[in-house]
Amino acid sequence: MIEILSASALATVQDLGRTGALQWGVGTSGAMDPLALAGGNILLGNDEGAAAIEVPVFPFQVRFTEDCSFAVTGADCAARLDDMPLLPWWAHEAHAGQVLHLGLPRQGHWRASRAYLCVAGGLDVPAVLGSRSTQLRGAFGGHEGRALRQGDRLPVAGGCAVGGRRGTGHGLVPPALSMPLQVDGVPAVRVLPAAEYTLFTDASLAAFWSEPWKITAQSDRYGYRLSGARLEPKADIEMRSHGIVPGVIQVPSGGQPIVQMRDAQPTGGYPKLGTVIDADLWRLGQAPIGSHVRFIEATWDEAVTAQDHASRWLDEARRLVELQRS
Amino acid sequence: MHAHELEQLAAWLAGTDIGWLELRGPNECVRLRNDGVRVDAVPDDPPSSLDAASAAMQPVVATAMSVGVFLHRHPLQDAPLVRPGARVRAGQALGLLRIGALLLPVTAPKDATVAGTLVAHGETVGFGTPLVELQPIAEGG
Repeated sequence: MIEILSASALATVQDLGRTGALQWGVGTSGAMDPLALAGGNILLGNDEGAAAIEVPVFPFQVRFTEDCSFAVTGADCAARLDDMPLLPWWAHEAHAGQVLHLGLPRQGHWRASRAYLCVAGGLDVPAVLGSRSTQLRGAFGGHEGRALRQGDRLPVAGGCAVGGRRGTGHGLVPPALSMPLQVDGVPAVRVLPAAEYTLFTDASLAAFWSEPWKITAQSDRYGYRLSGARLEPKADIEMRSHGIVPGVIQVPSGGQPIVQMRDAQPTGGYPKLGTVIDADLWRLGQAPIGSHVRFIEATWDEAVTAQDHASRWLDEARRLVELQRS
Repeated sequence: MHAHELEQLAAWLAGTDIGWLELRGPNECVRLRNDGVRVDAVPDDPPSSLDAASAAMQPVVATAMSVGVFLHRHPLQDAPLVRPGARVRAGQALGLLRIGALLLPVTAPKDATVAGTLVAHGETVGFGTPLVELQPIAEGG
C-alpha cells in the first residue's frame, strides 16, 4: 500500500485512459502526459498502461507501507526518499515506512508541470469500463472516483513486488529532450485544421499559426483556456452540439481558444478551428499555467508519423530497459 | 582458451586502434594491451607487496560497464552528480552512461572521496574506460 500524506488536492489515479466509451457519453480521462506514465511503467517492467498517480500540485508526499519499487517521471520535481535525493525518470526502491517527497518542478531543461508516481505492479484500483483512470465528472474510476486526499491508502497490484535483481537503478532520457518541438524557442504542438477552420478570417488564422498563446489560470484537466490574438469568424456561427475529443480547439464567441484536454466532456457546441494531434497532447499536458505554446499546422500523414515516432520511442525504451533488467 | 586463439585475437587487435581488450569467462581472464607497435598479454594483477590496510587506501577508479555516452549530470539537471572532493558512499551514482534512451549509473565501488572526473561530459566511452577517480576513506575515518 501507499499512503497519501499531503493535503494538496488534484492528484488523481490515471492510466492511459478509458477509450471506447464516448458512445455512452463517457470521456477518456487518462494521464495528461501518457509518455511519462508509460515511461515510468516501462522502467518498472509494468504494462505501459498500469495505473499511477498523476501529481499536478506540489509539494506532494506519500509513505510506502511496504517495500516497493517505484519510478517518478514527468516533471523533475526534486524528489527525495526520506532525505536522499532521487534522480528523475528513474526506477528506485523504497523500504516500508519510507516517505517520498515531491517538490516544486525544476524548469531549467524542460518546463513541465506534472509528475507521475508509478509503482511496480501498478495501483490496484478497480477497472471501470476497462480503465483505472479517475473520471472526475462522473465520480467513478480511479480511487473512489475522486482526487486523492490525505490519509488515502492505495493498494498495489502484486503487493509492491520488488522487480528482480536488477529491477531498479536505471533511468530513461525524458522524451521531451529526445523529441523536442519548439518554434522560436517556444514549446509547440502540431494541429490539424478542423471542420470550421475555413469559417475564420484570414487574419485570425494567420495569428493562430504565427503568435504565441498563453496558458491561462483557467486551465486544468478538462481544458486549457488560452489567451492571445482575438480569433473571429467571418460571420456568426451557430452550431448544434456535436461530439468532441481531447485535443479539439474550440473558439467561443469571445475569440479566445479552448483546447479540450483528457477530462473533456464528449460533446460541445463551439466552432472548432483545429485539433492538437494525439501524439503532441502530452506536450500541452505538461505546459505550465502562465507559459506559452505555439501551433504548427500539420497534415494527417504528419500526425500519423508523429504517432509512429512516439511508439518507436516507447518500443526502444522497453527494449533497452528489458535488456538491463534481464 | 587455446594458444592459437590467443594469437588470433592478438593479430586482430594489432590491426585496430583499440588499446585494450579484456575477455572474462567463468574460469579465466585474458587481457591484451595494444600500444600501436605490438600486442602483449597482461598478467593478472600482481600480488601486492603492500599490506592489506595500505592496499585498501590505494586510489580506485570507477569504469564504464558498457559502451555509452558519459554524463556528469542528469540531462534534466544543471548540477553534476558529484564534484571533486565530495564524499560518496559505496553504490552512489558518480555519473551516468547514456545508451540510446537508457540511462545507467556509474557507481562508487566503495566509500570514498571523489578525486576527479577523467572524461568530459557528453563523451562517448567504451567498456572499461576509466571515468572517475576515487580516494578511499580510511576505516572509521
